[in-house]
Amino acid sequence: MIFENIGFYFREALLSFRRSALMSIAAILSITTILLIVGVFLLISVNLNLFLENLESQLEIIVYLEDNIPKVELDNLKSNITSIDGIKEVKFISKEEAYQRLSKDLGAQKDILGAIEVNPLPASFEVQIKDPKTIEQIANQITKFEKVEEVEYGRETAGRLLNFTYIFRRAGMLILALLVFASILIISNIIKITVYARRNEIEIMSLVGATSWFVKWPFIIEGFLQGFISSVLSTIILYNFYFFAINKVHQAIPFLPLVVDNVDLLPIGIAIVLLGSLVGILGSMFSVGKYLNV
Amino acid sequence: MIRMFHVYKNYPNKIQALRDINIHIKKGEFVFLVGATGAGKSTFLKLIYRGIVPTKGQVIVDGINIARLKPGYIPYLRRNIGIVFQDFKLLYDRMVYENISFGLKAIGATNFEIRQQVKKVLNLVGLENKRKVKPHLLSGGEQQKLCIARAIANEPLILLTDEPTGNLDPYTSWEIMKLLFHINIRGTTIIMASHDKLMVDKAKKRVVRLERGRIIEDTQRGIY
Repeated sequence: MIFENIGFYFREALLSFRRSALMSIAAILSITTILLIVGVFLLISVNLNLFLENLESQLEIIVYLEDNIPKVELDNLKSNITSIDGIKEVKFISKEEAYQRLSKDLGAQKDILGAIEVNPLPASFEVQIKDPKTIEQIANQITKFEKVEEVEYGRETAGRLLNFTYIFRRAGMLILALLVFASILIISNIIKITVYARRNEIEIMSLVGATSWFVKWPFIIEGFLQGFISSVLSTIILYNFYFFAINKVHQAIPFLPLVVDNVDLLPIGIAIVLLGSLVGILGSMFSVGKYLNV
Repeated sequence: MIRMFHVYKNYPNKIQALRDINIHIKKGEFVFLVGATGAGKSTFLKLIYRGIVPTKGQVIVDGINIARLKPGYIPYLRRNIGIVFQDFKLLYDRMVYENISFGLKAIGATNFEIRQQVKKVLNLVGLENKRKVKPHLLSGGEQQKLCIARAIANEPLILLTDEPTGNLDPYTSWEIMKLLFHINIRGTTIIMASHDKLMVDKAKKRVVRLERGRIIEDTQRGIY
């Protein structure tokens, strides 16, 4: 039935778009605005996420080693640490490297190192991990290895940071859920109004013996078009605005990590288009259903 | 064609719209439904096109039990019933032609059939030269004729009309009546709810009188 009449349904949908042009434009603009708000929040939250990830990736375990470990044992220890689950990278820092780093960090005050005759700094492994939540557990495991003098990972700082990022992510998700929920309500109400304006038509169609799907299809197509056009419109505005904005931000704060990769931004566009189109379709379907029962 | 057995209809606000209705309307009959406002005329008509279901009793239309009809089959029942409303229920943003073709398209007629039928019914009601006019440019009588044209376009077995002459002058009313008689003669069963004493008396058809939801009189060749 749908395929038989698909041309008719599309013609009807487009006709009604034209007949109530003002209404359709108002609906599209309202939906665009709401999707823009959702989009702005999505962009903020992706960037925030990147920022948090950056912060978390700075968490690392430093494994201080005993002096004078033979090369074979050193390699053994390194491979033992590397084989622990959840390790991203293990980097060896020799005594000499540690000394050079320190003198570089001291800068103008490096003269004080001259007072010390032997290098007091231990060699170490810098261990980067995949999931910051596992840091404590991995550190405990490493402590048990032989030739390890001390393991340091900033227990308190790590704990606080992880707490902070956890709360931030949860709050973000909650706000996003609320926002999406609100936008669904608002968009379906806008669609409902456009359907309400044509309730006579629905009633008449149903009285002359049109099946409910015959009545519904043009409205569904129209709802889809309204949602789709709005979401594409808001995506275009959003992308242009975003790239303009991050240019400005980068000029002001050059090293701030921002999502600029199109691959990372694409899901946001897709999410918005899906949200708009789906709510358009479902909103019109349910609204028509309400006026069909004559 | 239409039979009702002990039909009761109560609305949610406890109003008894119809009480113990028993009636048999044969194929090709012309029946006036008279009675004061609120006597149950509209409820009577709604039962026939399954706008509502009876609270109690049976309504059989063309062999179909209304109460047992599944919602998916309602459209097919309605394709055998034309309905003309007092308030016209026309689509004012579409032309005369489209107001009729729209309904035919809805029941799956081909474009060829639609062209044929629209031409035929517009000729019958005398609106053939207004086919490309929007309904709000038509007079009240013409709008009512358009409603009738739409209602009979798919050649229904039954035509229900709810005070079709309610807002029209006597001359135009009689024109509408003549049109309905013409349709009736061609075999369509017509039930017409009316307040129009003049028309009812002049027509000399079967008159069913409702009062507070009951049939209190049912006479062949009756008067208002």
